[in-house]
Amino acid sequence: MPRILGVDIPNDKQTHIALRYLYGIGPTLALRLCEQANIDPHRRAKELSDDDLARLATILDREYAVEGPLRRQIQQNIQRLRDIGCYRGLRHRRGLPVRGQRTRTNARTRKGPRKTVAGKKGVKEMRG
Amino acid sequence: MSRSLKKGPYVDPRLLAKVEKQQNTGAREPLKTWARDCTIVPEFIGITFLVHNGRQFMKLYVTEDMVGHKLGEFSPTRLFRGHSGGKKAAAAGPAK
Repeated sequence: MPRILGVDIPNDKQTHIALRYLYGIGPTLALRLCEQANIDPHRRAKELSDDDLARLATILDREYAVEGPLRRQIQQNIQRLRDIGCYRGLRHRRGLPVRGQRTRTNARTRKGPRKTVAGKKGVKEMRG
Repeated sequence: MSRSLKKGPYVDPRLLAKVEKQQNTGAREPLKTWARDCTIVPEFIGITFLVHNGRQFMKLYVTEDMVGHKLGEFSPTRLFRGHSGGKKAAAAGPAK
């Protein structure tokens, strides 16, 4: 199986699909990469030559942030918001939704599993 | 929706005038302001503001990282002290 940028091993899908197994590559970027590297996006990833892979790797390295560097960049952006003490930073610190969503209900993605409070009105009905 | 780039950032004209005056005179006392919707521009770096949050003025020392944000983002209007009855919540409440 081919490898790009170390760890990632996309399988025997079409190239433009396989590339999306890398963190930070979506449908658009995958197609654009194929074009830049002169690779037919519909060829299977396993048919890619070492040369093709090398070309993809250089383009990724030079022009785009993916995988580790991208994750780091995102973390830095969040860390900046936390450090300057702005509203969005406070929401990140608290683990609450950042973009003004409601928190009276829902918001479970940010808040995590429900923490049921004993004796709170409505708990019995929900359980019953 | 974000603001049209054509207009440039919104900076409260009276506040900007105050900032410029302070820079010229070299005065260093904090600037009291209600202009929470005013964008922080590079001219504001190193100046201390007192930004109103509806009840009191929150002290804010502007650093380089804050440019592009608005003054109001640094002066929370709500204070969550935790829910009633929780022992743990009281301790975790006002910690920032």
